Amino acid sequence: MDNTFVVNIIHRPEMVPEYAEKVTGQGKAEDIGRKALLTESLDIFKFQQETAHKNGLKVTIQMTYASLFNDEAVALAKEHHETYGDEIALSLLGLPCKEFREKYKTKDFCIWMFSMEDKKSIVDDVFGKFYERFGFYPESTGSYYMDADLTNYIKETYPMVKCAVATCWEEGPKAYHTCNNSWYTLFDGGPWNPWIPSKQNTHAPAADETEDSGIVAIPHLSRDLLACYDGNGSNFGTHPQNVLRGMIYDTKTWEYPYLYNLIDQYRHLEKYNNGYAYNMMFVGPGWLNKMGRWEQPYELLKKSYEDGMAYYGRLKKDGLLVDMTMAEFADFYRANKSYTEPECALWKDILYGSDKQIFWYADPYMRACVNMDQGGAIVDLRPYAAKLCWEVGIGTKHVQDASYPFLIQEKYRAGFFTHYAGEGTVRSAKICHGGEEVDLCLCRTHAVFSQEGKTRILTLDPVDIEFYDLTVKLQTRVCFEEGASNIRIERHVLEMSDPAADVTINEYMVACYGTTEYPEDMTGITLSVSDGTNSEEIQYEYKCREAFMAGGRTAAAVIPAIETKVSLSADAEDGEAYVREGYAFSPMFTLGYQKKLHDKEVVTTWLNLEKAN
Amino acid sequence: MAQSGKGKLNFRCPSCFMRDLDIDMFYDKDKKEYYCIRCQYTGTEQDVLEKNEMVRFRYRRMMERITDFD
Repeated sequence: MDNTFVVNIIHRPEMVPEYAEKVTGQGKAEDIGRKALLTESLDIFKFQQETAHKNGLKVTIQMTYASLFNDEAVALAKEHHETYGDEIALSLLGLPCKEFREKYKTKDFCIWMFSMEDKKSIVDDVFGKFYERFGFYPESTGSYYMDADLTNYIKETYPMVKCAVATCWEEGPKAYHTCNNSWYTLFDGGPWNPWIPSKQNTHAPAADETEDSGIVAIPHLSRDLLACYDGNGSNFGTHPQNVLRGMIYDTKTWEYPYLYNLIDQYRHLEKYNNGYAYNMMFVGPGWLNKMGRWEQPYELLKKSYEDGMAYYGRLKKDGLLVDMTMAEFADFYRANKSYTEPECALWKDILYGSDKQIFWYADPYMRACVNMDQGGAIVDLRPYAAKLCWEVGIGTKHVQDASYPFLIQEKYRAGFFTHYAGEGTVRSAKICHGGEEVDLCLCRTHAVFSQEGKTRILTLDPVDIEFYDLTVKLQTRVCFEEGASNIRIERHVLEMSDPAADVTINEYMVACYGTTEYPEDMTGITLSVSDGTNSEEIQYEYKCREAFMAGGRTAAAVIPAIETKVSLSADAEDGEAYVREGYAFSPMFTLGYQKKLHDKEVVTTWLNLEKAN
Repeated sequence: MAQSGKGKLNFRCPSCFMRDLDIDMFYDKDKKEYYCIRCQYTGTEQDVLEKNEMVRFRYRRMMERITDFD
């Protein structure tokens, strides 16, 4: 691919926009059939369509269930398909309307939260109504989240569906908290850019044809990969009103260069993905409320949408952007990507001025975040290798929680820094000499990306580690080999102030499992060390035990609750593998490997992920 | 004292916004002030707008057009 920046623009005529009823209807008894609300909703849709078309951009119109009962919305979709080549698709958002409430007797509106029986019934109902209005079935669908069972049912019953909006990146506990614990979209842990979901779990990309769910998934919005990981996701995305919600604009001039910086950083990702980059903008009508929102008058909401579209339009005119409908994009993606090709994003802070740099990596076996501001520590890790079957919705163990579990999550389970006691989740290394110890988490640096064959490599700028009587210049390389289900980490000693000295390097990973900030039961986890012939095990009982093995080459943990085996391994024979059990105040486990290191030497370890069941 | 309403725009509590909480405030027309039902912040419209400017302290590159992403 040669520098192809693809954009999907999606609009949905949502006759009862989320938020609009709450915001515009304040002080009135709930009435989702209010004529004023319906008229306003359709006006917003018309404005969005007109704005995109004015800038020469193609749209995917995602009809909502409610809009299928509205003749004007249906007529507009048909007309815009004919005139502008817009795709008429079907959203599983926007279910609420009088007809839906009367039929299903519920105020639930998130498709993934319904029981499987209701999901099937609603899908058949909505797809059937769509067919009745248009005479064909849609090729694209979506929601904020599409669980695997839902997608599998849709693909089995409506095989023409090839594309779906299937998750919203890092919309989980952070979004829940931002909304005063009232917005139940809990689905952290997925890819940030399009992928082919596996049949087993939407977040985890398919490794091959047998795992292929049959659709190409796209994220709901393209989000800031640094700001969203720490802050409210709904402030930092390619969604002009998200940027306003985040107050990232000048109140006097109504300018918001951050929006364009964000789009441009996404364009820049082509550098790490064989020339391909992607963006999507999907603004629901509630965000363009005529009453204004988030301290801003309607005029600013409107201006920001016009400006966003104008920027995409300008890029298109300059030959720097290709606009596609969702179905067109699915074909493009299938034609240009393989199952195992990873998605890579070397990402810098473009908002806070911190100079921080992180690297996100996703493939069918893992999603990982490497933090250069912490010496290349891995600060988030999702073991997709397990392809965890995780049913969601009423009647399952996870009514709302659709997140893919983590092994490492530095915000929810601490990272390097903890308060007084215990440890937090992180994969890093400590360099020890003469009774002193330095953790690479405190060595701030940057990295460059390169690709050698099928291996993506992050080469970090060397860091100086200063002991009382010795300075060590150390360089880290983090390597991701396509399809290998592991991360190789090399530490190169470039220089020692005393060439005859030695240091001990302690490669370690502190981990646990979960989807939220709160601890899970660690009982049942098996920790082990092995040299290939002998092994020693600890069954997790919060007893703060340790096991060391001289000559050991592997430290491993099997976590039955998430069907995952994670191990830290080395190829040298003169090191020591160890495991540490945690305790109630530090519900973690540690996998480690340590060995002596001299000037000009290299130590290589692998972090391996496997399914364990 | 009459019941409170939302005010002319849905102003959020600037104090809660600083801790990543979006909470619409309500307007007490007798006291001519917005107030947060979760925390103890109260303020006039002008005070809310001033505090919202303060909120932006963390966005040090908010107004910069960035072209180098390496």
